[in-house]
Amino acid sequence: MLTNLYDIYRQMQQEQIFFSFTGPVSQHVVEGIGAALKLKMEIEENDVNTIQKVFSIYVEQIQNIMNYSADRLNRDKEGGDIGIGIFVVGRQDGHFYVRCGNNIYNDKLFIIKEQVEELKTMGKDDLKTLFRSRRKSPPPLGSKGAGLGFIEMAIKASRPIEVDFTALDKTTSFLSITVVI
Amino acid sequence: MEKYSAAATKSTPYVMFDPAIALFVIRGESYPENAASFFSPVFDWLTEFLKHPYDRAIVFDIELIYFNSSSSKANLKLLTMLEDASKSGKDITVNWRYYADNDTAHEAGEEYKEDVPHLKFNVVEVERPK
Repeated sequence: MLTNLYDIYRQMQQEQIFFSFTGPVSQHVVEGIGAALKLKMEIEENDVNTIQKVFSIYVEQIQNIMNYSADRLNRDKEGGDIGIGIFVVGRQDGHFYVRCGNNIYNDKLFIIKEQVEELKTMGKDDLKTLFRSRRKSPPPLGSKGAGLGFIEMAIKASRPIEVDFTALDKTTSFLSITVVI
Repeated sequence: MEKYSAAATKSTPYVMFDPAIALFVIRGESYPENAASFFSPVFDWLTEFLKHPYDRAIVFDIELIYFNSSSSKANLKLLTMLEDASKSGKDITVNWRYYADNDTAHEAGEEYKEDVPHLKFNVVEVERPK
């Protein structure tokens, strides 16, 4: 049993993780943590465009947990439900990264893996062209957003998006996505 | 027609469309939980407004510091509505305003401008408020 958080805290420090969250992701969480993340980066005088890129990837990643996590919390009062997951923001070799994790149904995992594989093979200009043509078309079936999030992240990332997963049972896996800025 | 207004929140922009004083403004950040449901009443209002004659120039000032990918799609829908109305004779101008150090907003403006070639569309650098 976890009786003391020191080990986790120290491990995160060693990994240069400076932000972490576990739990249900409501829009308040998206806004509040986003504001704190921006503030921290502004204090450290990072370049405006780097801050924007990190913030933008943070929003796409955390809203994916909110919308697509297989672990969900019902909100009877406000209607709908919100996803549960985990995310960290850290630094690695002088780059910021945003890593998100949540349970996911295997059919959705398959779609994400395919999409990320396809994006890996594309250069920035092709990614931008794809983004703009997809933006003009109707959203894909089953998407709550515009189906643009992964393309947006691939455009802003400095390396290909990394997808990692652990099978949990026949229908679900734990999905972990890392985007390096 | 009655004006349409929405106060800014942390994740939705200030929207003010007031035909009485010829003011059409969208300003702030846009990353709502559900972009479609945030923008749907905005589109409804605009559809209705564009049906009627209006004897003044229509100038939209759009100043979005940050918007997520689904808002990006909603922006294009709004601009396409304005472009269609321009083609059918309405006098519409869009001023896409961005701060000098915001490369993302600047580039987004240039891309939207290409996406709606039949709309008067200015990409304008503005001072960041102190």
